Amino acid sequence: MKKNYIGLWLLLFVAFAAFAVASTLDEIKIGPIELKSSKIADRLLQERRLDEAVDSVFDAETADSRDELKTPAPLDTASKVILFIGDSMLEGLSPRMADYAAANGHTLYTVMWYSSTSERWGSSDKLRDYIARLKPDYVFVCLGANELFVKDIKEKRDGFVKNIISDIGVIPYVWIGPPNWKPDTGINELIAANAVDGAYFKSDGMHFDRAKDGAHPTRSSAALWLDSVARWMPLHAAHPIKMAAPGNIKGKPKRIFVHQPDEK
Amino acid sequence: MDVNNLLLNLKDIFTYTEGQPMLFSSGTFWVLFLVFIPLYSLLKRRLWQMIVFVVAFSFYFYYKSSGVFVVLLFATSLFDWLLSRLLVRLTSVTARKICVACSLIASLGILGYFKYANFFMWNISAMVGANFQPLDLILPVGISFYTFQSISYIVDVYKGRVAPTHTWLEYAFFLSFFPALVAGPIVRADYFLPQIRENRHATREEAYTGLWLIILGVVKKAVIADYIAQYNDLIFQSPTGYSGFETVMGIIGYTMQIYCDFSGYSDMAIGIALIMGFRLAQNFNFPYKSQNLTDFWRRWHISLSTWLRDYIYIPLGGNRKGTRRTYINNFATMLIGGLWHGAAWKFVFWGAMHGAGLAVHKASRPWVDRLGSSWPVKAFSWLLTMTVVALLWVFFRADTWTDSWLIIKNAFTDFSFDYAVPFASARMLWLIMMLVIIVAHALPTNFWGKATAAFVRSPWIVKLLIFVIVVQLVIELQGEDVAPFIYFQF
Repeated sequence: MKKNYIGLWLLLFVAFAAFAVASTLDEIKIGPIELKSSKIADRLLQERRLDEAVDSVFDAETADSRDELKTPAPLDTASKVILFIGDSMLEGLSPRMADYAAANGHTLYTVMWYSSTSERWGSSDKLRDYIARLKPDYVFVCLGANELFVKDIKEKRDGFVKNIISDIGVIPYVWIGPPNWKPDTGINELIAANAVDGAYFKSDGMHFDRAKDGAHPTRSSAALWLDSVARWMPLHAAHPIKMAAPGNIKGKPKRIFVHQPDEK
Repeated sequence: MDVNNLLLNLKDIFTYTEGQPMLFSSGTFWVLFLVFIPLYSLLKRRLWQMIVFVVAFSFYFYYKSSGVFVVLLFATSLFDWLLSRLLVRLTSVTARKICVACSLIASLGILGYFKYANFFMWNISAMVGANFQPLDLILPVGISFYTFQSISYIVDVYKGRVAPTHTWLEYAFFLSFFPALVAGPIVRADYFLPQIRENRHATREEAYTGLWLIILGVVKKAVIADYIAQYNDLIFQSPTGYSGFETVMGIIGYTMQIYCDFSGYSDMAIGIALIMGFRLAQNFNFPYKSQNLTDFWRRWHISLSTWLRDYIYIPLGGNRKGTRRTYINNFATMLIGGLWHGAAWKFVFWGAMHGAGLAVHKASRPWVDRLGSSWPVKAFSWLLTMTVVALLWVFFRADTWTDSWLIIKNAFTDFSFDYAVPFASARMLWLIMMLVIIVAHALPTNFWGKATAAFVRSPWIVKLLIFVIVVQLVIELQGEDVAPFIYFQF
């Protein structure tokens, strides 16, 4: 190699080798700062999940647990007008929901209320107003992330959660639980207790790649989160609707309504 | 370690995957470049071996980005080269014109089919009220760029400005040169072809200047543009969802995003070419320092604007046929420039408005010049230019015509500084990124010359440290999805 290139090549090589070696370590810390991995080693050494192998594992798992499963509810194949309400978690979830809506013939309206809680929704008329205005025939809710650590949550929020469910009324719904980054003080339990069987998707315990704030899943992680909801629905939801994987189809909500934290 | 697993993963990494073009800022390209540099360096003095090697690498690069469309690139290069050879043998003016027409029809026909067929069919069906099933077309990556290169080559050969290459390999080298293949800068034959035969190694200074440009490009694209895009996307997905203040921030954000995205790619392309000993022309010259639209188009996407000037504006008559005709030529050129960016009326409108802006600037020049060049005049000119540029980017970015108007209406009718503090607390990192790029852009031009020289002179270990920090920054900020370069779609 010509000498003009040796220094440059060595620089690129040493840097690459350093990142490759670092990617084999469990964690890399400089003082209190934990650095993200380049994932070079993961990428090269990741297990190949051949389709046949995945299918056989899936079959075995479902066979083992078949007795424990209730008979899935029949799939509602009609196109739906979906109302998706919640807090800032919808920044990540809504785009993926829009893809599902586009792929399955649904119409999606998103209402994102930043920093909102069950208290904010349960004490306002917003949900009732949106239902009256948009006439959805399916509702998704994602709330709870802003009240993971509220003390005495059952006493403080039980009424508001009940109000939200009452506002939804007879419309079938799925409440997507918050993506805990620490153990909560009872919000998940509270939602699960109030929601009808097959209307609560527990997100606590799932693995998420988080954004810089440590709370919100990254956009791609949020998409996988919604993929999990879609896979869960046919077997477990009280009222499953068409949620076939969108593949390369990209959708957009028909309209997104955004509310600021200080709105009443 | 499972060797089969490793081999299968390597196969996945180095073969074509739909929707995942090879980015200069990706680890895959980094590894390939590590292999490329020593081989290229060894072959550099052996002209033909070097040409074969670079052409093969460029075609592989294109295959990794665009799959089977590499055949189209091969066919285009072969067809145009054969026509260029024929062109110099023909003496009849008519035959020569037919030859050029054949090349233009082929180049523009392919571009038209892949890029504009659905657009025109949709418009025709809308006019006649017919149902329209869109064709299932995928736009080959970079087709707009290499088509313009092939057109300029044939026209230059026809006009006698460039001698045709003796071999297809040299022409393929020019057309498929991988640093500029998929998103420019649009390389001109008269500037580039002599450099192939010149066959010189990059000096140590050039190699490290190239690395510096790559680092700058990575910071612009993979650190700043990709990060600020996350907020900007929210605003453009929900035109009425946010307050006027947040919408204005989104518009300013997109203005900086598209600059960082595209100029970052150009910096990387120019840097890689420089490491190989090739000089590509500057593509961006601090465009947001412009004080009028004419100046803006001398600084923004320079390789495209000079191409449009030389192959559309001047052939239309330029400014040689009177004032009114000059304005019309300007307008028509920008209209075509707009359509080049995409098959949608929003791009046509964007181009038309820039064309109109250029005409207005030219028309008002006599009395604008009388205002002098005091700092208030300069400040007002800059503010007016940036406002027009930023508002027109809204049409460029928004999904629909209606969305564009809603965003602009929201920005003007719902603006309040009350949102400034909550916005700053919620989007602090976004603001920091914006501040960094705005300050970097506003610095005197010679600062960047000095910074480049300082980097080149710095000890090896300092360069390594800077490179590692930048790569780690990319890893820290990136989501799992790779954001493609905005200009890949053109």
